[in-house]
Order: sequence, then C-alpha cells, then structure tokens
Amino acid sequence: MSTGMMSMKTETDMERDGRRVRVNVGGHHFETTTRTLPLSDVGDESASTLGEMTTRMRMLMLADSDESAFVDRDPSLFSHLLSLLRTPHSIPPIHQLQQQLIHEASLYGLPVLSRFRSALAPPPLLGYDSSLSATLLPASNPFVTALSPAPDGSVCLAHAGLISSYDSALACSSTLRTHLDRITSLSRLPSPHSQQPLPVAVAGSLHHPGLHLYDLARGTHLGSVLWSDPSDTRLYKSWVTAIAPSSSSSTSSPLFASFEAPHRENCILCVDPETLQVMGEIGRQSGIAAKSAAAGRVVHLPQLGGAVFMSSVSAGAFGYSGYMRLWDPRSGDAVWETSEPGGRSRNSSRFGDSFADVDVDGEQLALYKVCWKSGDVAVADLRKLGDDPWIYLSDSDAVAGAGGGVSSIVHCYKGQVFVGRQSGLEVWSSAAGSWRRNWVDGEEEARRGVVRHMEAGGNRLFLCRQGLDGVQVWQTSCFSHPTSLSLA
Amino acid sequence: MINKGPHGRTVSFATKNPHSSASFDSKYQVEFLLIHLFSDRTSSPPMSNNPIITLNIGGTLFHTTQRTLSATGPTSPLASLPLPSPSSPPPFFDRDPDLFSHLLSFLRSGFPPPSSLLPSLLAEAEFFSFPPPLLLKLSLPLHFNPFSLSPSLSLPLNGREHISSVSISPSSSVLSVARGCKVTTFTPSLLHKSTVLTPLPFIDTVLPLSPSLAAAGAKDFPGLHLVNLLETSPAKVLHWSPHPSQENSSTVLAIGYSPNLLFSSFESCRRNSSAILAFDLEKFEPVLEIGRKEIFAAEIDTAIPSTKLSWINNLGLLMAAGSHAGPAGFSGYVKFFDTRSNRLAYEIQEKNSDCFADVAVSDSLLSVFKIGVSSGDVYMADLRKIQSFDNWVFIGEGGRRSGDMKRKEGLGCKIECYEKNVFVSREGEVEMWSEAAMAEGEERVMKRNFMGRWKEGEEKKKITHLAFGGNRMILARKGEMCLEVWQS
Repeated sequence: MSTGMMSMKTETDMERDGRRVRVNVGGHHFETTTRTLPLSDVGDESASTLGEMTTRMRMLMLADSDESAFVDRDPSLFSHLLSLLRTPHSIPPIHQLQQQLIHEASLYGLPVLSRFRSALAPPPLLGYDSSLSATLLPASNPFVTALSPAPDGSVCLAHAGLISSYDSALACSSTLRTHLDRITSLSRLPSPHSQQPLPVAVAGSLHHPGLHLYDLARGTHLGSVLWSDPSDTRLYKSWVTAIAPSSSSSTSSPLFASFEAPHRENCILCVDPETLQVMGEIGRQSGIAAKSAAAGRVVHLPQLGGAVFMSSVSAGAFGYSGYMRLWDPRSGDAVWETSEPGGRSRNSSRFGDSFADVDVDGEQLALYKVCWKSGDVAVADLRKLGDDPWIYLSDSDAVAGAGGGVSSIVHCYKGQVFVGRQSGLEVWSSAAGSWRRNWVDGEEEARRGVVRHMEAGGNRLFLCRQGLDGVQVWQTSCFSHPTSLSLA
Repeated sequence: MINKGPHGRTVSFATKNPHSSASFDSKYQVEFLLIHLFSDRTSSPPMSNNPIITLNIGGTLFHTTQRTLSATGPTSPLASLPLPSPSSPPPFFDRDPDLFSHLLSFLRSGFPPPSSLLPSLLAEAEFFSFPPPLLLKLSLPLHFNPFSLSPSLSLPLNGREHISSVSISPSSSVLSVARGCKVTTFTPSLLHKSTVLTPLPFIDTVLPLSPSLAAAGAKDFPGLHLVNLLETSPAKVLHWSPHPSQENSSTVLAIGYSPNLLFSSFESCRRNSSAILAFDLEKFEPVLEIGRKEIFAAEIDTAIPSTKLSWINNLGLLMAAGSHAGPAGFSGYVKFFDTRSNRLAYEIQEKNSDCFADVAVSDSLLSVFKIGVSSGDVYMADLRKIQSFDNWVFIGEGGRRSGDMKRKEGLGCKIECYEKNVFVSREGEVEMWSEAAMAEGEERVMKRNFMGRWKEGEEKKKITHLAFGGNRMILARKGEMCLEVWQS
C-alpha cells in the first residue's frame, strides 16, 4: 500500500472517528478519539469538577499536540470506562463498580456521562425476545400498587404508603414515607434541581383525598392539589383516580389528573406543576352512570395538539362497559367519544364485546384495546377516528384471544402491544406489515400470578403480578445467559 | 488434546525478534495450519520478507511482524497495514490495549486465551474482522471428540413457542433455532444471541447461511424466505412456480446446503408437483431444477416430495429422501442426484415393511444410515457399492422392548452423521455409532456407544432435534424451553 493511500485513509478516519485524544491517567498513557470520549469543544465546566483538565485536554486536542494531559485518577477505572465506551452493551460490570464508573464518567463532563449511561443501558426492548432480568423487591411492604418508569430506565414504585425510587442501574436510591396509606396512582415529574437525578413523585390514592407532590431527593412534601369549587360545597375531600404519565421532559408542561368526589361527581384537572395552581377543569360530569364514571386512565398527548385522552371501565355481573373520550383542553370540548357496549358495533357480532382495557401510543398516535369477551386486541388510528375506527389484530394462530379478556390489561411501548391475560403475557409486534403474536413469559412464570400493573420505559418492562410481591423487570439481552449442566 | 505444546513454550509479549515466532517444530505446523493459513513456515525467510510492524492500540505500542498479522485474513484492517517508515506515525486503533495483547498472543501462538476474557475478546476479534475459522478457533479451542461429549450447558429460550428447527451453519458455526414465527441466532461462542421475527407464521425449517443471513421455510406458507438476522426486514423471498396458475405459492419442505449452492425442496400448493431447486449463494438466482415430479395416476411414488436434503461433498452428490405413511404402511425413497449433469445417479426404494424413519448420509464414511420405522434397527448402505436392490446392511438392533410387531419402534427417532460418527436419538437418549478399529482390508464394523450418564429414576424428555457443529452437539427436547449443549 502506498503512503498516499494511507494518508487519505487517516483523513477519512479522522472525519469518522473524531480527533485523537491523548491522556495520561495516573501514569498510564491512553490514546483514544473524541468519538469514543466525546469531549465537546464548548466547555461545560460547571458540570465537571475536572473542568481545568478537560479544558487542557481539549486545547491539546485542537492543537494536534503530541503532549498528553495528566489526570490524577485511577488508570484501571479509566481503562474500564474506556472499554465500555468503545463497545456499548458489552458485559455490564457489577453494580458497585457501575456506580463508581458513572461517577468517574461524570468527571469528564456531561457528553461523556450521557454516552456512558447509554452504553450501560439495556438494548432496545423486543417483546418477543425478552427475559426476566431482575426483580425489584422493596424491603418493607413489598406489594407494589403503582409504578412509574422514566425513559432512562429508572423507576418509581408505590408500595402501600411508601414511594421508592430505583435508578437506571436498578439500585434503590431513596424511599419516602407519605401520609397516604395506599397509593393507587403514581406519576413523576423531572427534578427541579439540575444536579439531582431523583424526580418529583406525584401520588394519589383512592382512599385519601388530594393529589400530592413529593421531592424524592430531599424527602419533602412539596404540596397538594385539591379539587374545589366555591360555588359547590359538595366537592369535599375528592380523591384522585388516575394521573397522566409525564409526557415531556420539561418541568413546565401541565399535569393532568382525574378527581372524583365522594358523591361520584368527577372531572380532569389541569395543574401547573411549579405553582401547584389549578389551570383548568375538563369534562366535569355527574358520575351516576357507567358512561360518566371517573376516568381510570388519563393520557396527555402533546404530539396530538396537547389533547387529553381518558377512559373508564366498569365491570359487573353482566360484563364490562366503559367509555373513552378525547378532549381538547384549550376549548374544553370532547373531540371524540365512544362508549361500549353501543355505537356502531350494536349491529355487529362484536356487540357486547366491550373493551376491558385501552392504552394510547402517543408516539405512533394509536389506540389499542383488549375486548373482555373474546380477548381480541384492536387498534385505532388517532388521526382517523370515526364511529367504528377499530381494526382487530389477527395472527394466523386460531387461538389468538384464548382465555378471553376478563381482567386483561394492555400497554403499548415503541410500536409493540403487551397484553396481560389470565393465561400469561403476550406481545403483538408488526413484522413485514402483519401483526404477530408471541408470548413474553413462559407457562411456569404465568402461573405465578396474573399481571396487574404493567409499565414500560427505558427499554424495560416492569410488571406487578397478582399475589406476588415486588416488581419484575423484563428486558431484551444480547447475552444468551447459559447455565451449566456439568455434574458437580 | 492439541493444546499442550511440546516445549511448554511461553508466549512473549511485544516480541521484537521476527524469528522467534517462526521457531515451531513440524508438529506445530500441522496443528496450527488453520491459523497460519496464509503464511509459509517451512523455511525461515529473510527478515526483509517479514517486516516488523508497530501498532498503536489505545495509546500502547505493539511490535509484531507482518506474517503474524496476515493470519487475520484479507478483510481485516490488521492484515493490510503499511510498512513502517520514519516519517509516518504507527497506525492507530481506538481499542483496549489489554485485550489486544491477548489477541496478539493468540495470533502468535494459537493458544486459546483465558476463558473468562472470551466474550470481550470475541467482540475485539469481530471489530478487527477476523475470518470465521479464526473466530471459531478462538472461541472453541477444543476439537470434537465424540467419546468425551457430555452435557455442559443449557441455553434458555424466551417465550413459550416450541422449537421447530435447530441447525448450525457449517461455514460460520452460527446456531439458529426456529420457534413459531421467530428465529433466534447464537454466535459461535454461544454467549450472544439475537432474535428476529419473520413473515412466516410458523417456521418448519431453518438453516443459517452466514452470521447475518438464514434461510427459512414453512409447510403451510409459500416461499423460501431469506431472513436478515441483524434486522427485522426480510432480505428476499425465493419462489418456485411450477404452473402459471400457481404462481409464488409453493411451500418449502426441506433446505440443504453445499459450499456454493442452496437447495430447497418445494411442493406446489395443490400438492400435485414437487421439485428440488438449487440457488447460487451470491445472488440467490435459481440455477437448477432437480427431480421434478408431477402426480401421475394413482402411483404413490410420484406424490412424495423430498423432506431431507444432504450434500455429499466427497462425491458431489445431493441426497434427497422422502417418505409417506399410508394405510398400506410406510413407503419412501432415498435418491442421489449429480448436480453437475442434473440427473439421478442412483436410488434406493423403500417399499418393504421397514421403511426409514430417518436417514442420514456421512461424507467421511461414504455411507447412508437409516433407522427402520417399525423395528427401530439401524442400517447402513455403502455408497461405493450401491446396487439396484438390497443395499441395506443391518448394523444394530433398536432395542425392541416388546414382542409387539405392530409397534413402530423407530417412529420419531432422529439420525444424524457428524464427522466419522452416526448419532441416533431414541426417546430421551442418544446413542452413537462409531467405526471399530479393524485391520487393513477387513470389512467395516460399526459399534454402538451409549452417551451420557444414566441415573436411576431420571426420566428424560423425548429428543426432537439434533444438531452438530464445532465441538458441540445441540439437543432440543420436547416441551423444554431451552437447548441442551453437549461439549467435548
């Protein structure tokens, strides 16, 4: 090979791989590129305690100098850090080392830290290929009643009156005792402190009035929101039936929660999370019939012009009934509504097969429901809603809705639909234009309990099973995790 | 085993002397032929032909010779490095120097690296695009020894779908498992896996062609599907249209493989014609149509498609076998096609009462082995002296448990040939047939060996699939959500 070709190759390599970085960490010489160790040209010294060092590294790097910057840190830790940055999703280090490495990465600035966090994060969640990777077991009151994951893979659990926060490495980072006895709905808001990774928890209970905000980092109660109306004295001690999961990372986006008064009157309140002032009231209704019962699920859809979706399901001796409604919070009008049993399906064979649960995919703007009688799963496009927008998913497998849909729950994540049934947890994923159904859990796992709560975030699926304490964490792994069969 | 060096020579790290790596004795030359495929070690060459190369790996300098690096093959960036010159800096790679030192030591000596580092080293070797034989040598240091096979690993599989096909690519040692509509692929080290969904609702046969491509087919869905193992998008669908009215509707019953052809046994959707198609392995264009059959009157033979395809490399023949269970009993055929002239070389008709339950061909023994469906006995036919009738030589009893002649002892038994051995699965057990050591000129004698340890009261589930590759035997058992790996 001629030297001319070689110099050309190194130039294209430079463009692809970034600039060379030479660094002397604790006496060991390391050489890497900015693609691996993303030291930004613009300083963020405020976030990095080794600011002076990274500035010097940047200067040397820009000058293409042969000199290397000296950093007085442990070289073996740095070597570990560098290998994980070079090969993301490789062997995850043990938890204690992981914490140490995250701290080490934070010294080199935010770009390095965020790249390192994504290198440690689980690979994209594929429902048809996920396995139980961990069980989060709170030390006290381990029956989890509500959970709220974040896009970084961390999760907040409500168990009885406690809220526990688990970080992205699934280590318990804080536990807070609230004055509530049984938290039934939980959401989270980004932390108001930029340095703190711990969020603000938003909790509500069906057994205690008010919506309560807690700063998990400081362990303090930030305030409560109550539904009140000076002109109506009956609205006394109303409780929260559902809280919309946080839809954006900004601290100023409004918080939506469904409130219900003791005489069953209900509405959705829009709350400013900073001032805790009620900004608006949507869809106040009497609550005397199933068609006006308090919402069991509220979802804020910023991707759909800030619309708010709500649904309510009542189950009785004669089956299920419920409604779903889409609100425009600016005008306070319902944009679309359907109630089941009823509507167009009255004349079809689907009459009486109303939904047992429904979920909204805010990214792909789709609604997914599971029917209680047949157990079938249907999808509706949020942009083309009409009288009967449902398209029923089918697989060539004839036993698609086997076991019916009684007490089924549905959750969608990244274009996949997870359905928890009596017979287990199934997932629908689209392959080459058609939907394919697969089981997530094995039969033995499914016998341990029916899935009661299910949330996904950060490429992890969090499950609570009936009668089983703790939260199961399912994720996709590129490792085969073989077990040894050789006789001891 | 081969890994004991005769001199107990230690491998020096960053050797500057080019002659030190060329001082192996002749025994070594044979053993490490695979590694030093590209180098000529028979005479000690002058230094100018084997220049010293300096590498900068993550800040650490390595000195080695061009010949050591040339073993990494033409695709590797290490094999085509420029010769050192005083003006140019040593070529730089942003990788971990500690891991590279192990790879270099492996390249120099051929000794396997410490097994604890294997996952990281395989990732490094993949980064430097080592060729598959070298990757295999790195991950599987031991040779296949059928007499020391024992169960060593259990690979768990996610979900609930039963295993419908297990196969190992002979060229890249990739293991593929088909379950329902998905294909799970394990890397040669069995440490990493990935799963993709296919457009097929239920896969019946799968064959990995390379680490990124597999061929899959189903009995009830048209087309031979080339599946992209790294992403969910299908690569290509290959069809056979025997009649203009039945376009793109033929289903796949078996898939076979030769070093340059891909074979697939197709049956038309009306099940009135069948043929074996050969495709080239580069563009996947049909090259040959072998043994086409159209149903003719009531003749049963014309209606049986091939359900097993095996390539006999030493003879350049394709074995195709098919059988049919009718009211009059089993009947079938084993045919051998010459793919160069596209004609039938010879054929074994199976019209007697003891038709094969499964048949396999051994390339190194040049013989066909079958297991009789009613007796469960093992038979052998020598391919060098095949006649028009009565080819089978009885070699062993099937261990008939009762005198009941109606019982089909061989039903569900599997037979596979690997290297110089024949493996037969009966219920939960595997037996291995090997050639007995005989004096020259004497007739060939095959002897039975029982594999594994038998434990009192242990009931093993029925073996449904057997696959061989590297130093491993892979077993799938009925209803088990894992693969059993036997290693020597």
